[in-house]
Amino acid sequence: MVNARAKKRSYLSFVLPAFIVYVSIMVFPVAFSLALSLTKWKGYGPIEFVGLQNFAKLFSDPVFLIGLRNNVLIVLVSVFGQIPLGLLLAYMLHRRMVRSSKTFEMLIFLPITISSVIVAQLWNRVFAPVGILPTIVRQLTGNAEYVMTIFESKAFAFVPIMFVLLWQHTSLYMVIFLANLQRVPDSVIEAAQMEGAGEGVVFRRIIAPILAPVAFINSILAISGSFKSFDLIYSMTGGGPAHYTEVMAVYMYNTTFVFQNYGYGSAISIVIILFIVAAILLTRAVTKKLNLE
Amino acid sequence: MNERTQLKKAPLAWRASAYAIMIAFALLTVFPLLWLGYSSLKPNAEIVKHPLALPQAPSLRNYVQAWTMGGLGISLLNSFVYTIAATASTLLLALSAAFGLAKFPFKSARFFTSAFAVGLMITVHAVIVPLFLLEVRLGLINKRLGVVLPYIAFNLPMSILIALSFVRGIPDALIESAEIDGARYRRIFWGLILPLSGPVVTTMAILSFLQHWNEFLFVFIFTTKAALKSLPVAITQFAGRQNIEYGLQYASLVIGILPMICFYFLFHEQLKKGFGEGALKE
Repeated sequence: MVNARAKKRSYLSFVLPAFIVYVSIMVFPVAFSLALSLTKWKGYGPIEFVGLQNFAKLFSDPVFLIGLRNNVLIVLVSVFGQIPLGLLLAYMLHRRMVRSSKTFEMLIFLPITISSVIVAQLWNRVFAPVGILPTIVRQLTGNAEYVMTIFESKAFAFVPIMFVLLWQHTSLYMVIFLANLQRVPDSVIEAAQMEGAGEGVVFRRIIAPILAPVAFINSILAISGSFKSFDLIYSMTGGGPAHYTEVMAVYMYNTTFVFQNYGYGSAISIVIILFIVAAILLTRAVTKKLNLE
Repeated sequence: MNERTQLKKAPLAWRASAYAIMIAFALLTVFPLLWLGYSSLKPNAEIVKHPLALPQAPSLRNYVQAWTMGGLGISLLNSFVYTIAATASTLLLALSAAFGLAKFPFKSARFFTSAFAVGLMITVHAVIVPLFLLEVRLGLINKRLGVVLPYIAFNLPMSILIALSFVRGIPDALIESAEIDGARYRRIFWGLILPLSGPVVTTMAILSFLQHWNEFLFVFIFTTKAALKSLPVAITQFAGRQNIEYGLQYASLVIGILPMICFYFLFHEQLKKGFGEGALKE
């Protein structure tokens, strides 16, 4: 009782340093960003208030719409590619379907530590004219002139990026599912097997439902991660050629830091956040409806 | 473990496809890295002529040249400075905040906790513009502090939540008996909470080290001088500039990848544990 005030002081001295750093670097700038998104500003000179004009302009801006489409493609490859594939890999490892499963797990998880920008550069070299893929194609087809042209295709330029994303992140979900599978007692699988359930049935009817909540939480992570994607794409293509591989965050970067359109750039940031929040709410609603939780 | 032997083996078709998928995935992971590694030992002419062949006379010449031309030594040093400073500060701030929030009976703890939780939804891109303007105003652009501060802030929400769930599990009785002995809270933190938190501190340290080491945007935007770039940024910029000098590109990329592969094999179990328990993506 005597030292209640001293106690309070100690408490604040533990909590406040982190809180101050957090508020000044994360919370305050978000509010600032919101305000900027309602303006037109070149980074110097007078700031012009334009209301919601930036937002109205965004949805008729063809470059932004390509970016949005590509972000949606990333969401799809995450939720319907990385996560199911990660689950399948985890199940196969957990059931020891291959010998030396530890080695496989170790090799497949390896990309997790490599920086995205360097992953991008690595795959650019693999796809380059003197890279692995064109060389193999040349040797198989005998066409000595072959180089990859998919990057110049408006419709398919994004495909190689989706492949690299699959390469980079599938193992993360594999490890998450593997950790959760280890908590499922073997007797659950055993009981199903005694009733004559085959491997496919065990996987679909027993394991998949048990892991559904985990998959749900990871979908949220994957979706919010997808709308934020920047490093890999910026380093691999910079959004080009002709904006074919544009994503919202890269467009936001170029708008703000290259073309100095601070207001318009901030509007893009706000839209990215809104998409993330909307995706989270939507996933939650859908899951509730399907009764997965 | 006895139970496991009673499980039926998966049918042949499943095992065969498991092998196919595992081998395909492992090859896709390992082969590009191996190829990059041995190609970096070849002179440029040999790379162009026989892209997939092993080097005829392996040489480290590309490495020497990439290292000096790209200024990679200073970048490596920068990466260590940024990562270690940010990781140590994040851990200290997060653990002390968690101690305050978990073990002191004040109502505001709830408010602080949920405020930190909201931080999980804030993305780098939402703050980068104002933060840049702010750092210009405060003269933090082209200062190491200007990079380290955002690193810390962005790691805090997740680190605090991890630390919080651990510190809550430390028995109150331990702290109370230290209080009765007249220990000050600062001593309790350093002498009791910190040592007890060993395992969770390791996990947090490894995850935040990884995140800080691979960070791109803050260094890229908040520094303009080559002497302040971190290794991933310096390598990306260097490799991007070498149009046809493939040997140099490959060597610089290996310099970026090799430390992380060592890190991976050293801390594989902790990484698996940290990510497996549902941590972060990017």
